[in-house]
Amino acid sequence: MIRNLQVAPDHYLLELRLPAEFPCPEPGQFMMVRLRGRDEPFLSRPFSVHNFRMHRGSVSLEILYRVVGKGTLLFSRQSKGTILGILGPLGRPFRISSICPTVVLLSGGIGVAPLAYLAHRCRGRNAGGKRTSIIVYAGARNAQSIVGIKHFEAVDLRICTDDGSRGFHGPVTALFERDLCSYDPEKTMIYACGPPAMIGSLARILEATSFSCQVSMEERMACGVGACLGCVTAVKDNGGRIRYERVCREGPVFDIRDLAGLKTDPC
Amino acid sequence: MNASGTFGFGEEFAPFVDLNELGALVVKGLSWEPRQGNPPPRIIETVGGMLNAIGLENPGARAFIEEKLPFLRQYDVAVIANIFGETLDEYPRVAEALSRAGGIKAIEVNISCPNVKKGGIAFGADPDIAAEVTRQVKTATDMPVIVKLTPNVADITDVARSVEAAGADAVSLINTLTGMAIDVESRTPQIQNVTGGLSGPAIRPVALRMVWQTVKRVSIPVIGVGGIMRAEDALEFLIAGAKAVQIGTANFVNPQITLEVIAGIEGYLIRHRMDDIRDLIGSLIEPDSLEHPHEP
Ligand SMILES: Cc1cc2nc3c(=O)[nH]c(=O)nc-3n(C[C@H](O)[C@H](O)[C@H](O)COP(=O)(O)OP(=O)(O)OC[C@H]3O[C@@H](n4cnc5c(N)ncnc54)[C@H](O)[C@@H]3O)c2cc1C
Ligand SMILES: Cc1cc2nc3c(=O)[nH]c(=O)nc-3n(C[C@H](O)[C@H](O)[C@H](O)COP(=O)(O)O)c2cc1C
Ligand code: FES
Repeated sequence: MIRNLQVAPDHYLLELRLPAEFPCPEPGQFMMVRLRGRDEPFLSRPFSVHNFRMHRGSVSLEILYRVVGKGTLLFSRQSKGTILGILGPLGRPFRISSICPTVVLLSGGIGVAPLAYLAHRCRGRNAGGKRTSIIVYAGARNAQSIVGIKHFEAVDLRICTDDGSRGFHGPVTALFERDLCSYDPEKTMIYACGPPAMIGSLARILEATSFSCQVSMEERMACGVGACLGCVTAVKDNGGRIRYERVCREGPVFDIRDLAGLKTDPC
Repeated sequence: MNASGTFGFGEEFAPFVDLNELGALVVKGLSWEPRQGNPPPRIIETVGGMLNAIGLENPGARAFIEEKLPFLRQYDVAVIANIFGETLDEYPRVAEALSRAGGIKAIEVNISCPNVKKGGIAFGADPDIAAEVTRQVKTATDMPVIVKLTPNVADITDVARSVEAAGADAVSLINTLTGMAIDVESRTPQIQNVTGGLSGPAIRPVALRMVWQTVKRVSIPVIGVGGIMRAEDALEFLIAGAKAVQIGTANFVNPQITLEVIAGIEGYLIRHRMDDIRDLIGSLIEPDSLEHPHEP
């Protein structure tokens, strides 16, 4: 652990130094992280790659996390020098399109973590013969809990807060829906990560359109490698039949149209 | 060896473990028909363990033979197929198909799963039904048959004796202990199935006690399973009389744990100047005055 910095109430930025041979993760992939030598908590916790840097023979990994329970609380109490167990990179990454020059990112709360790394990797690329332009809709409860946006420099950043204390007053999906007609479905790739209600309302907004949208999903995990079958989420096949796929193996990134049983926004 | 359901079909762990180094590899439980399993959430961590209600999701025996077994045949490791059925006839059917497939060394019969015809009560909860399952599987295969016992019974040794009499070549114990957990804020069960199977270090003392009791009452080999997290834990089971051990939930915490436990057992034997692990197995030094071994 190089640093474990509180960046907002309940939000921390963890930076880890990894062995130089550690494989470079793709955006959307995750790591299983654990405190070693403890039976409590005992399973590893999954976290998205927020940033990954190689410099002078050493490699560093950034994880942006929110304290929600006993594992994340314990992580937040660790400091420089703690040695963590890391397994990864795991899961299927976001697909980066070579034909869509417009990239739209929608994040809700801590969902910003994987999207920041994706933005970092999309920046300066060309797609469909044009320089990629990135538009980010970043949502948070209030101005204090906006985190992880430093990687969004030089992108079109549209902040939304639930209480209106900064940016647009309302959910990211509401602002995005207002802007929807300014995007060309043929030339735009949408990526989203956030709470179930946000993903549910995004699915509803996109239902009647032909936009492509990739979503990073969360489920409780035990192994992270596809063996325990504990992390499944419901997906529908072409015939509308429901089956289960492993978030750690077939995911965490899914096509929003394949997801079944999404919660729709209560408001 | 690993415990069924915690190591997938081997391929999931091949990046971390040289499968040839394992004593044996036990695959995820197989039924005749594919099974979709339970809706999520399927797991929740609890103190020193986890509850799972996977619902025995598996691709079915035929798909396993076609899609998963060829990978395992590349290795020089004894593959044990874990099987289960919803009805009594499903067991011999699966056992027979797997015996003919080639590349499998033994069958482990999971009798902890619900018997659909008997209102969902586990086959393994009744010594007579457990014996009937064992007999049926024995007639369907020439391979060694290991019967995996459930701890959710009044006396596990009665079931062990009953399946031994029915021809079981070994027993493995324990499967998970049924438990539950509630989210008090929402007052909803933590897992969708309400109840699930508890595994991990929390169950080790119970598993160890049941192995120790069972070893005293049967003459077939007993395989110890439950909460093994490190070599010392495996040594406890061996000293209590288990001929082999299986590691389950610990694979989720450390994917290389199986090999680390093997190395740790070897280190122990060297430190204690034992040439043969058989000198260790069942070597528990019990107090002389043990009059009521089955009561706490
Ligand atoms: C692929 C993936 C990537 C993730 N990336 C990040 C990230 O970058 N930053 C971040 O802060 N969090 C991320 N999460 C969520 C994170 O794993 C959980 O918040 C964490 O495991 C909770 O651990 P805990 O011990 O603090 O909570 P617990 O005490 O175990 O539980 C507290 C609450 O969190 C819920 N929870 C537990 N595990 C998960 C889980 N795996 N996913 C969602 N909710 C869970 C529980 O149901 C409960 O309501 C990710 C999850 C997945 C599956
Ligand atoms: C996620 C999970 C899936 C399991 N699936 C099976 C199974 O398919 N068949 C079976 O006989 N036992 C199954 N088990 C039980 C384990 O093989 C083992 O008996 C039990 O977990 C206790 O050992 P442990 O504490 O080392 O995990 C499963 C356990 C877990 C945690
Ligand atoms: S976490 Fe074990 S299969 Fe996904």
